[in-house]
Amino acid sequence: MLKNDRSGLGYAQLVKKAKSAPPENGLPLKMALLADVSTQHLVPLLKAIFAGNGVALEVYEGGFDATELEAYNAQSGLYTFQPQVIVILQSVMKLKAKFHDASGDRASFSQTEAGKIEAVWKAIQSRVHVPIIQSTFVLPPERAFGNYGLKVPDTLQGAVSEVNREISLRARSHPSVFINDIDHIAAWVGRRNFLDEKLYAIAKTLCALEFLPDVAQNIADIALASIGRAVKCVILDLDGTLWGGVVGEDGLDGIGLGDLDPGGAYRHFQFFLRELSRRGIILAVCSKNNETTAREVFQKHTSMVLKEEHIAVFIANWEDKATNIKRIREKLNIGFDSMVFLDDNPFERNLVRQLIPGIIVPELPEDPGLYLRALAELNLFETASHSSLDAERNKFFQDQEKREAEQKEYASIEEYLCSLQTAADFRRFEPATLSRVAQLIQRSNQFNLTTRRHSAADCEAMMKDDRQFHPFSIGIKDRCGDFGLINVVILKLHPAESRIEIDTFIMSCRVLQRGVEQFAMNKVFEFAQRGSFKTVSGCYIPTAKNAMVENFYTQFGFLRDANAPGPETRWSLDTASYVPRKVFIREANNPEGIESSSPGLADSQRPTLGTSKGVHQP
Amino acid sequence: MTQLEIKQKLTDIFRNVFDNNAIEISDATTAADIEGWDSLTHVNLIVAVEKGFHVSFTTKEVMALQTAGDLMRLIASRAT
Repeated sequence: MLKNDRSGLGYAQLVKKAKSAPPENGLPLKMALLADVSTQHLVPLLKAIFAGNGVALEVYEGGFDATELEAYNAQSGLYTFQPQVIVILQSVMKLKAKFHDASGDRASFSQTEAGKIEAVWKAIQSRVHVPIIQSTFVLPPERAFGNYGLKVPDTLQGAVSEVNREISLRARSHPSVFINDIDHIAAWVGRRNFLDEKLYAIAKTLCALEFLPDVAQNIADIALASIGRAVKCVILDLDGTLWGGVVGEDGLDGIGLGDLDPGGAYRHFQFFLRELSRRGIILAVCSKNNETTAREVFQKHTSMVLKEEHIAVFIANWEDKATNIKRIREKLNIGFDSMVFLDDNPFERNLVRQLIPGIIVPELPEDPGLYLRALAELNLFETASHSSLDAERNKFFQDQEKREAEQKEYASIEEYLCSLQTAADFRRFEPATLSRVAQLIQRSNQFNLTTRRHSAADCEAMMKDDRQFHPFSIGIKDRCGDFGLINVVILKLHPAESRIEIDTFIMSCRVLQRGVEQFAMNKVFEFAQRGSFKTVSGCYIPTAKNAMVENFYTQFGFLRDANAPGPETRWSLDTASYVPRKVFIREANNPEGIESSSPGLADSQRPTLGTSKGVHQP
Repeated sequence: MTQLEIKQKLTDIFRNVFDNNAIEISDATTAADIEGWDSLTHVNLIVAVEKGFHVSFTTKEVMALQTAGDLMRLIASRAT
């Protein structure tokens, strides 16, 4: 993964790399590029970067400066291409020309321009439901008023900033619009280096060729996050990483965490980590220490920013770190490729890199004051969604430890499940749950029958279309805590065939073995019965990560269709033959019954508790 | 830098940009003589030459370039 290392990001190197064949068995991705600059130099870079991430990219380049024409014409090449992601790139050079040509009221310039951009998003969204990646504009260097311009309305500077701000404000109400913050890249490398007026004059390039790889990488980061490639967990070393010195030797008062000594750098690093935790990244500790000594720092040191409550899994012992990281993975049930390991010690970094394929191990500079900058440069934490549930994630794993401890005290699993008093919140998609639904669709890899990454916009369309879809979600809570929304099922209705197709069936791996999937399947057949659909069908599309649900349909009595082509398997079951599963989950708005029994259907089945085995990815 | 040195270095840059080690250039070499010399690679070439010789050309100069000879003369007028 390129995210480990950006040294291969030189323009000439990437152009060479782009000439080699795309990755075999790479995930195919169709990207449309709409721009008011030339994109011919960018395309090879995009291909090389995506190839480095196992994606075989196919690019459609829209006509030069024809974004609106492509977007508004239903017959345009853009739509014929059937893109899976659309990138809109706009240059400040064009915006400047418009600003100076504008005969009308300058005060309304930014609103007008942002309005045009939003109108393009809307036109695209009315025709295809795919992520749109919109660029921002680089602030131009010329200032007709000098610094004073900031105090004057209607200057060029002000207008460009305003358009950028409007883009981000308006994007908030379009869940499938993502912002490619080109101005951030330009500011980082220096705007005067980034903008290249000569190349613009000769070849209409967006920026100096040297920085096009950064633009391409940024687009890749966003596109990959939108298809679920995102960091979910950061594993932290302690001594030398979170504080200066070694707590086992220097003692609680001897470690560097003060504001006035070099320890201040560690505190700033911890502030950032706490922000990550707030935004839903799980933090784990993996340290060579005595556990009590290590925990004591979190409990007692007054300058510690991170507290025990921020750490989902805390491992401090004297075993090797690769073994401990594998243990953390088992607890969290996520892939190594969604984990970042931070350690100041190069030996540990190399060991983990070698023993755990896929894990992201960034180089950390010697000076802790530069840790933040090193991470910022890698843009490791790109995400395609955010929900209020994110901040709860660390707490969830702590609740889970409590559950595991209690489980040991019960004689049978049934007794234990009963004791949890699980309540389910079952509902059809609705505006309030859409962002979390879309997030689950993007993030779930293992308990995911079809891995169809429907966008937020798709989900919204399905929500509104009750003739063709019955999409629902389930959230659960128990007496130890709230899991939030953890299950999404999308039913596609085929009334002409009297059939319901399970388009999507996803569950968060944190609720395995609790009967949620049985509860959901009962709901599917209740719906089928109510609507007099004769059969329910579904398919399993294998990926590198979803082997755990290979036999999902067997346990519910579905019959396999032997004629299905390709690697996927197809299944179906007559509504009348389904036997509702007994579950220990009560519906939140149906407080009477402890189990979800379907009126009118026989209720004779023994409890079925979760899928057979959690087969995890290697 | 002598003319020969410029020519040698420029040949290396051409070979690198066009990914072809058989390329030889002369005063009269034009885009038509070299496979893959199009508007895209032309920009790559100019940027590589500016970087390789530590020089900077003006927009007008770049746009006036017709032959490899033009390019060598332009470099000679700048390179120290």
